[in-house]
Amino acid sequence: MSPENKKILMVGAIIAIILSVLAPFLASSNPDGLDKNVIEFVGGGSEEKAEEIIGEKNKVAYESPFPDYSIEGMHKIGEVLAILIGTVIMLALGLGVSILLKKKK
Amino acid sequence: MHIGDGLIPTEQAAIYWIVALVFISLSLKWARKEMDEAKVPMFAALAAGIFAIQAMNIPIPWGTSGHMLGGVMAAIILGSPFAGVLLLTLVLIVQGFLFADGGILAMGANILNMGVIASFTGYYAFMALKGSLGMVKASYIGGWVGIVIGAEAVAIQFAVAGIFPLIPGMTWMGIYHAVIGVVAEGLVTAIVIGSIMQTRPDLIVSSSKVGA
Repeated sequence: MSPENKKILMVGAIIAIILSVLAPFLASSNPDGLDKNVIEFVGGGSEEKAEEIIGEKNKVAYESPFPDYSIEGMHKIGEVLAILIGTVIMLALGLGVSILLKKKK
Repeated sequence: MHIGDGLIPTEQAAIYWIVALVFISLSLKWARKEMDEAKVPMFAALAAGIFAIQAMNIPIPWGTSGHMLGGVMAAIILGSPFAGVLLLTLVLIVQGFLFADGGILAMGANILNMGVIASFTGYYAFMALKGSLGMVKASYIGGWVGIVIGAEAVAIQFAVAGIFPLIPGMTWMGIYHAVIGVVAEGLVTAIVIGSIMQTRPDLIVSSSKVGA
């Protein structure tokens, strides 16, 4: 990879890492626009009721290793770590997929 | 805007998966044709940056929050809405499988709404406006259009599934995401496009493309 292209990758990686570290401290914990509507329309204003109704209907048994961008028992540090892990995976995945698909000379 | 599992009935979720897979395969075709040495680092940087910024929920009124999607930004920089589709597909796969952000069965719908519908509508709104408004303003509006139309697509799917009533669902999804579009998606898209235009305008493929 040329120095110019390396620079683009580095700038992107640094911005992404800064965002990952700051996100657990700055991000709002309010429900997002869709979740808010689900709480209103499905749970009649109650988040717990909405979760209960959805949980009964959910047939997918898959469990994520870092639910809600957190690591159990590690609080804020766990959130920073979880998002950082995701960011590093995305960087590797973005590189891997684009290199694999790159047109051959 | 991530839909979790247990909301959309299985048959409907399967249909959204099929439509999403068609667009994913078209996006792979785009990449095989257009991905070159210069786009590789930008694609990887955008993949990491968009994942990270999606973790940054911004508070808006009504006790709600939201984050940008980023597909329109990727489409403008890499010169095709299929770039947004491919990038958001990778982001949504990682978010769904590792972080329980969006369901597995519902992932097709999430790819369709945030990857396909938002990227396409936003990119073509940008292309239609960039000649008259310039790159920065057009990218602001493009980002805004993408997230609002993507949110309305969710409202329509939820009305079909019988989860939200159609008009109130569309109204509230529209209101929340119109605000998120102003304070997050449009703003960040315009800032990123503006900064690259000032430093390395050659990196933005769509800047040299003729507007629709």
